[in-house]
Amino acid sequence: MASPVQLYCWHFMSYPYLAPDFDETNDTGWVTVPNSLWDRDKARGLYQQYIDQLAYADEIGFDGMVLNEHHQTIYGLGPSPNLVAAALTQKTRNGKIIILGNLLPLHMNPLRVAEEYAMLDNMSDGRIIAGFAPGSGPETFNYNIASAPSREQFWEAVDLIRRAWTQPGPFNYEGKNYPLRYVNPWPQPTQRPHPPIWIPGARSKDTLVQIAKHGYCYFLSSRSHGKETAKSVNQFAKVLEQYGSSYRPNRMGILMSCYVGETDKQAQEEAKDGIWYFLKNCLKGHQRREGRQLTFGPGVPYIPSDEFRDYLKFSDPTVPLLGDTQDWDDLQRSQSIIVGSPDTVYQRFMEILEHAPVGHLLIQFHLGNMKDELTRKSMRLFATEVAPRLREASAKQFGRDFPEIETTGLETVK
Amino acid sequence: MTLRVLDVRGRKVAIAEAGQGRPVVYLHGFADVHAVAADFQPFHQALAEKFHLIAPAHPGLNGSDELSDGWSINDIAFHYLEVFDALGLEQFDLIGHCVGGWIAAELAVRHPERIRSLTLIGACGLFVAGQPTADIFMHAQPERGVDYATLRNLLFSGSNSAAALRWYPNGRGDLDEETRRYQMLRFGSFMGFRPPYFYDRALVDRLHRARMPSLVLWGESDHMVPSTHGAAYANGLPVCSGLKIIPGAGHAIPLEFPAPTANECISFLARPS
Repeated sequence: MASPVQLYCWHFMSYPYLAPDFDETNDTGWVTVPNSLWDRDKARGLYQQYIDQLAYADEIGFDGMVLNEHHQTIYGLGPSPNLVAAALTQKTRNGKIIILGNLLPLHMNPLRVAEEYAMLDNMSDGRIIAGFAPGSGPETFNYNIASAPSREQFWEAVDLIRRAWTQPGPFNYEGKNYPLRYVNPWPQPTQRPHPPIWIPGARSKDTLVQIAKHGYCYFLSSRSHGKETAKSVNQFAKVLEQYGSSYRPNRMGILMSCYVGETDKQAQEEAKDGIWYFLKNCLKGHQRREGRQLTFGPGVPYIPSDEFRDYLKFSDPTVPLLGDTQDWDDLQRSQSIIVGSPDTVYQRFMEILEHAPVGHLLIQFHLGNMKDELTRKSMRLFATEVAPRLREASAKQFGRDFPEIETTGLETVK
Repeated sequence: MTLRVLDVRGRKVAIAEAGQGRPVVYLHGFADVHAVAADFQPFHQALAEKFHLIAPAHPGLNGSDELSDGWSINDIAFHYLEVFDALGLEQFDLIGHCVGGWIAAELAVRHPERIRSLTLIGACGLFVAGQPTADIFMHAQPERGVDYATLRNLLFSGSNSAAALRWYPNGRGDLDEETRRYQMLRFGSFMGFRPPYFYDRALVDRLHRARMPSLVLWGESDHMVPSTHGAAYANGLPVCSGLKIIPGAGHAIPLEFPAPTANECISFLARPS
């Protein structure tokens, strides 16, 4: 039997206490959103609530918990996901802890990331999945990261960290960006040869090539799923073949958001506040045309100009983004935030998996200002009534479409 | 105008050229030849009627290769020294606009003997406390996906100026022009972003070395580089004709106010020595 799809709970840790008129009175939720809006009294206990929700995911049988790094935004209060990961190593026993990821160009010395991830791998007894990301537009502004050289810095940092975990120290690293005379981190990670490495990507062929070459796992950093997701799987499969490997579901993951209620109607009713808060406020400045989107574009020129020229040729700047969603029908079409009864959610997830057979579903349950009890209820309904069916059906599908897995087992992603 | 590609130690460098006589090198800015326009505009043409105007495209732009290694202002200065060597230019007049002005100033303090005269037009490059160069990268991200009004305001006298709307229209512009705009932002990101931001703190104390005659030209309402930077250049350059202000103009005065800008340059270059 092939391994089933792995189901993870992703928490973005959004700031939930914005006034109802935030969208009318503020032009962005990113970088320049005034931190005078932070309410110190209301925010007491917020991190605890979010950490407890993640621990709850572990308790009810999710395969892992996902954290990521953002700065100066209401979208995600995780400037240092490693701190939350450290708490989770002490509060959970089973699931993987996926940090997706530390933004390497923001670190003056990537060795610090090698050290902290190795500490976390020891503290969690080998449960860390090491995500590395280059950062995108917002980091240009909030951490003063020059966009143009950031990709090269990123890949050098990944190389340095991988060597720090695998090459006996001390050794001299003659990197262009991070030259180090004595690379010799204590501790070393628990997992051998090192924690699985996941890399997000979306537009760049170069990213896929690096992932394929080194045997990393590809996380498609897109929030909408339709034909494009299947296309991305095929594109990645082609690149893997060029580098002597072949596509397996466990080489790729995607991000979904979801709310499960008893019925479709009840799910919509319960989720609507959180979802519209998320779409209108958290995505303003990121995945919304209104205001100034900072994630990608000419002002954050991290891709080479010939790639940008192709993007110009094949894209339309007036096409709505996820945050421009107007109503439930729109939302349904984006295949990004799946809302409904256990049956509906199961079917919608399977539709996506049938077109895009990815082995890792990273699922956001807490959306915007969603209340604790609703978030937990949705997670519980998913874990008890959706996850078992998804696991069974996906194992069957993967076994049918990737018969070689049956004999070799789930190959380890390095 | 001719556009040719020069081989400089294995790197391609695009050179736009026109006119005859004394060699005048022009280093371009954001809203300028190579960086949005493919060829010379009325400002450059006016100069080329009197001089041999030579305008290299910065690395990565309009047919020039990106640098493979090193993007600091020092690396860029050496890049241009190699370009001038390849062009056989021993001594020449140097004009720089915006980022090109910064590079020109850095060349002038390093090799004053090669530069007959220095003209800076809305040049960045200096650190002036409390008076930062505006964040062109933030403004290059359009509002609602299509609206470049604030970028136009940064680069021109206002967001509705005719030149601004011609070169930075809302929505998708001409593919080649958009690509050049992107290439210029990428060049700026490589060489001008860190340390923040389009300046070299040490430059002001080195200006005394640039002993050639110099002129500093600024738009009256430059929203990109405050005119206090112009005053600081005029103050630091030892043989300076002073800070001349073009009335009613914004940052990209060669594109938006070609005649008065060219006239100032020409009368400065043609002055009796």
